[in-house]
Amino acid sequence: MTGVRVEDWHAAVLAACGDGYDWFDWLGCTDEIGVSDELRVVLSLRRLDEPGLPELLLECRVPRSEPRLASVRDVYAGAAWHEREAAEEFGVEFVGGDRRRLLLDGGVTAPLRKDEVLAARTAESWPGAKEPGESDAGAGAAGAASPSRRRMVPPGVPSPEVWGDRDPVSSPPDPAEVAASVSGGRVRRRAR
Amino acid sequence: MSPTDAGVHGRIRLIEPACTSCMLCVRECPVWCITLDSHTEPDPDAAPGARVRLVNVLDRFVIDWNLCMYCGICVDECPFDALAWDAHHPAAAPVPEALRHGIAELA
Repeated sequence: MTGVRVEDWHAAVLAACGDGYDWFDWLGCTDEIGVSDELRVVLSLRRLDEPGLPELLLECRVPRSEPRLASVRDVYAGAAWHEREAAEEFGVEFVGGDRRRLLLDGGVTAPLRKDEVLAARTAESWPGAKEPGESDAGAGAAGAASPSRRRMVPPGVPSPEVWGDRDPVSSPPDPAEVAASVSGGRVRRRAR
Repeated sequence: MSPTDAGVHGRIRLIEPACTSCMLCVRECPVWCITLDSHTEPDPDAAPGARVRLVNVLDRFVIDWNLCMYCGICVDECPFDALAWDAHHPAAAPVPEALRHGIAELA
């Protein structure tokens, strides 16, 4: 994996293409939250004159707060489709790229970022919130679990002290904590 | 025989006497299609004079076949083998409510 700086991205891809890596394989994006506050864009290239050689992987890390990167669709036309996908799923802006929506309606922002909470899951009541010995009818005062017992939250939903039903005067939720909480585990309990 | 040896993932059967209402299947289900209600009562099998022990009693167990995607995670997760694959498929129904099968239909 060859790291490329944001400002060198287009030139580096152009150089790789001139170097014989003229076959576009794929372009992908991952959210590095929890490791660093960046999105990682990876481009895989191959050369057709020596197909046995391993692919050339170029990676570029863009800040999550300002994800802007030059488009390489003038080098590889096929990259435009992959860039549209990354733009829509991760909110990366590809300067000079194809700006048309590919999959989702306009209202959705960046669903594959790890701090994106599945809102439908927080709104709906989870059948697994009940303890053994509890029922919908008796979940209130006569519930089997003691009231002090911590309520379980479903996978994909952060615990209430991290996101959602929080003290309104406290600071806004930390994206890294939300991302860690959504992927399971009790974030603040572990941190203590 | 393992629960999947039957070969066909037709529907999921509930073996009610084996169920301890532990809620594991409900919590592991990725599409939230299982609903389980239970209550606790003193263990009727306890020896006379022994300390009272509470056991969970299953009241309601519903699989919503509208939502179920037949992934079998509940069958794998059940620690008491109370869920098993069955070769028969749930019958089609004219209304969605009729695809919510309770303890009797899942037996």
